[in-house]
Amino acid sequence: MKLKKQIGFAAALVLVGLVILSTRFNEVELPVWHFLGGGNGPDPATLHLRGEFVESNLGAAEGPAGSLTVRMIAQQFVFVPQCIVVPASVPVHFRITSADAVHMLSFVGASYGLKAVPGVVTEATFTFDRPGVFKAPCHEFCGSGHFAMRGQLEVVPRDQFSFLRPGERRTCEPR
Amino acid sequence: MDSSTNASAQAGDSEPPLRVPSNVAWTEETLAIVSNGDAFHGLLLARRCNHCHGEEGFSSVPVFPNLAGEDRLSFWKQMLDFRSGKRTSPVMQGIAAGLSAQDAADLAAYYSMLPIASDPQDNRSFPQPMQTPSQASIAIRLIIFGDGQRGIPPCQSCHGPVSYVRGAPPLATQNGGYLQEQLEHFSNGERTNDINIRMRSIARQLTAEERTAVAEYYGAGLGPGGNSR
Repeated sequence: MKLKKQIGFAAALVLVGLVILSTRFNEVELPVWHFLGGGNGPDPATLHLRGEFVESNLGAAEGPAGSLTVRMIAQQFVFVPQCIVVPASVPVHFRITSADAVHMLSFVGASYGLKAVPGVVTEATFTFDRPGVFKAPCHEFCGSGHFAMRGQLEVVPRDQFSFLRPGERRTCEPR
Repeated sequence: MDSSTNASAQAGDSEPPLRVPSNVAWTEETLAIVSNGDAFHGLLLARRCNHCHGEEGFSSVPVFPNLAGEDRLSFWKQMLDFRSGKRTSPVMQGIAAGLSAQDAADLAAYYSMLPIASDPQDNRSFPQPMQTPSQASIAIRLIIFGDGQRGIPPCQSCHGPVSYVRGAPPLATQNGGYLQEQLEHFSNGERTNDINIRMRSIARQLTAEERTAVAEYYGAGLGPGGNSR
């Protein structure tokens, strides 16, 4: 009788675990080897001086083969650029790093997020199928202003997203 | 979702001309220089600041900033940005050009030690009563809660007293006229020396009414964190 109860309890635990796993938020986590050897990413204190995350290089950029790369900085308590615009149905490569604490860029309506860690560049390729304006809140507690840390993602139809010139960086921030 | 890495994609795109907001970075060496300022040497140097910024670090003109109780890192960064021309001011650029990095650290040490208590003998312009007290509710909301819908973090989560980030000045005893001018300059791109576009991102989301309300509220000495009342 006691054994039956224990088996039933174990089965219930496994079931709950499976439900949690099936609805899990798909974070883009960093592989363990990123942290071996101290990391070789940009220094969070000097992001604005050199490297790919200088403020003139942030936003959407077009590569030679037509590939689209979005570079962002997460910092307490704003994403920079705060508003990013990408075409729909096109794979967009994200590169994000943090200037201070650990943040996570997530998109409302999508089940994945991109963790921003100081000293490391996190990258992933996402494809947004549906045009629209999506909120992009920070999904990792980062300090007292965390609840108001929110960016915006604008997905426009593919034909409305004109080609970027070499050296052009596109955001949807007010000028 | 595909989280593959393609390092070759970003190798070929040409970069736009480099734009650096400020030459100051909060590295270990910088923090060591700023934290080792000599406050007595700063007191001697501060005699040339007294005319505009007041003998007690409180200005008699609302558009000049109060320096008493100023954050060391913030003060030092502004002096070096004036010196390098990253922040523009016809008066301050000339004055900062005559200061070494060590002088700026000495001044920062001195001004950070000045008390922010009120003094009726002084002809300071702070605090000024709000011109439109009905806007206080707008300011309170932004200072304490921000606006999450627009991605505006609360003022007090970086400028204190809840928490501070490096280089963010305390605002509780700052002049409203000065704050309003700086918010306008951040929002219209006249001032661009904030690291990683932090204040520019926030200021350009605020409406003109909100900028005025926040500046006047702090300038009235009502902001959280001050002990001048």
